[in-house]
Amino acid sequence: MAFIPSFSIVFESFRLAVGSLRANKLRTMLTLLGIVVGVTAVIAVVTIINGLDSTVADAFSAQGSTAFSVSKRPLVITSREDLIRFNKRKDVTDQDAEAIERLCDTCWRVGMSINGSSLVKFGENRAENVSVRGLSLEMFDIENVSLQAGRLWTEQEGRSGRAVCVIGTDIVENLFAGRSPFSVVGEEIRVDGVPFRITAVAEPFGKVLGFSRDNFVYVPFEVGQRMFGSRDSIVVHVQVRNSGLFETAKDEVRSIMRNRRKKSFSDTDDGFSIDSQDAFIGIYQNATSGIYFATIGVAVISLVVGGIVVMNIMLVSVTERTKEIGLRKAVGARQSDILLQFMIESVTVTMVGGAIGVFTGYGLAYLLSVVLGFPLLISPSSALLGVTVSFVVGMISGSYPAWRASRLSPIDAMRNE
Amino acid sequence: MENIDSNGSGLSHPYNSLIKMRGIWKTYQMGNEQLHALREVSFDVRRGEYLAIIGPSGSGKSTLMNLIGCLDTPTKGEYWINGEQVAKMSDDELARIRNKEIGFVFQTFNLLARATALHNVELPLIYAGIGSSERHDKAVDALNSVELGDRISHRPNELSGGQRQRVAIARALVNHPSILLADEPTGALDTHTSAEIMTLFEKLHEEGNTIIVVTHEAEVAERAHRVITIRDGEIEKDEKIR
Ligand SMILES: Nc1ncnc2c1ncn2[C@@H]1O[C@H](COP(=O)(O)OP(=O)(O)OP(=O)(O)O)[C@@H](O)[C@H]1O
Ligand SMILES: [Mg+2]
Repeated sequence: MAFIPSFSIVFESFRLAVGSLRANKLRTMLTLLGIVVGVTAVIAVVTIINGLDSTVADAFSAQGSTAFSVSKRPLVITSREDLIRFNKRKDVTDQDAEAIERLCDTCWRVGMSINGSSLVKFGENRAENVSVRGLSLEMFDIENVSLQAGRLWTEQEGRSGRAVCVIGTDIVENLFAGRSPFSVVGEEIRVDGVPFRITAVAEPFGKVLGFSRDNFVYVPFEVGQRMFGSRDSIVVHVQVRNSGLFETAKDEVRSIMRNRRKKSFSDTDDGFSIDSQDAFIGIYQNATSGIYFATIGVAVISLVVGGIVVMNIMLVSVTERTKEIGLRKAVGARQSDILLQFMIESVTVTMVGGAIGVFTGYGLAYLLSVVLGFPLLISPSSALLGVTVSFVVGMISGSYPAWRASRLSPIDAMRNE
Repeated sequence: MENIDSNGSGLSHPYNSLIKMRGIWKTYQMGNEQLHALREVSFDVRRGEYLAIIGPSGSGKSTLMNLIGCLDTPTKGEYWINGEQVAKMSDDELARIRNKEIGFVFQTFNLLARATALHNVELPLIYAGIGSSERHDKAVDALNSVELGDRISHRPNELSGGQRQRVAIARALVNHPSILLADEPTGALDTHTSAEIMTLFEKLHEEGNTIIVVTHEAEVAERAHRVITIRDGEIEKDEKIR
């Protein structure tokens, strides 16, 4: 006989499923747990990574893909051997920057930075490990720094090595608790014991991946060189007018620098490194794909465990309801009707688990978005994914118990234990 | 064959028979042993008969019931209900016959505990694929006919034993089956309630229903019009008593 379930039978099955879930609340909760955890993991990770992707994209698109840097060591170093090798290279100097500025036609802006970290104090208040960077004036354009209070130091001030600085909003918060950015302009802070006058406070950059980017003191490049020059090489930053010129500029700078380092064609190492934000994005993508796979692992394991739990509970339920199944068959239920009833019950359990998982997943993503500071991007497709996954788990883990139920003999309903 | 012919209980009108069993065997394989629960059973039941099946414990009454009710198939022999050969039907075909031709009444009622009286009575109609409003009307009618029209939304644990058995009878009647089949219908009831149920059976018989009751209680068997006695899987006696 063809299997055509009537609407009445589907509805009866659904009613039954809801009824038996409500009748046994503790068991239902335990059954749901695995599915809830699995779907929560999927939803939370998809949502969090979406949010992170968007902040990271925002953070880096401030520069667009128009800027790159020339430095002694690359941004990413993967082994100690490499570190030793890179440290043997010649330092990048301000003469290199000058040469690039003079010889590179496609380069638009050329800036210099030298980086360190220091103890910063104001009176009794102190902040450790503050990023202190000596910047040439071009860097404020290249890195798109804007000021919310005060003014930038002048070229004259920079060249004469005046102890002036531009600070980030974290410094205002940490050293001048409660004071407005305007009121701190003109104050004197100490960087590694040396007094610096604040000429401006920068607009905040915000957080990326939970790390603040506003804990800095910018000083004139010449001053930075005096402070850190003996310890480290400088970095030359180049910006082109539009991203179409990016690769050309990179090639130009590379050949200028190789010439200056007297490298022949046969030398495999440039003797310097060119990096752009692509490198950052690469690191970021590596990290997030790691998280992705780890969580997908967790999700798969808990869904498999959840599926096994559902299958077990369904088998118990079939055994418990032998008499009911026998009775239904005695009054005319076909095998397919019983099969359908238990499949619907199983899928209902996992779909309820999936729906709860979607909500807890969004909840978890929301909490993390508040803590790490990224936008909560709720995508309907991730909810759909969660529900689909739980539907499939329900189908798979329900099929064996449902098949067993459909095969039960109606004579069992007549038997009085 | 001749003992059936001699009491003239139906073979003389074979084409009139609602139930026609010929040479039915039911054999269980118990390890190396063969256990014959029924041997060479033949009889007919005509529409409108009120039949009791009696016999000592282990004689094969329930086995015969299961075959009559199409819950099981015979090892050997032929069986027609309403002209349809059911001895070799598939599971799903038997389900259709049970749904259409047979109404069961069990000793322990077998109601769904979480469902209302109304829903319990609707059950056979659900599997008959009948829509909800027609189903509701038919179930209410059936409950009215067993005088439970005022209890339709009660659950089994909110009903007395006699009321539960009446819900079960309403469920058995709701799809207008050809046969009402009851296995020890009063086994779980006290004397007074048993009498009530037997009176209900009599009324249903008068209204034209065909009734087959399996029992070991003499008072229950006495209410029937014909009694078949089984011993060791064989029909020992088949007599009209009124
Ligand atoms: N599934 C089975 N497997 C093996 N033997 C069975 C099975 N069902 C019944 N029998 C045997 O068949 C015989 C008849 O059993 P049946 O249940 O029909 O007896 P009964 O007349 O209904 O007895 P009671 O009055 O005690 O209910 C018994 O000997 C029983 O042991
Ligand atoms: Mg019995």
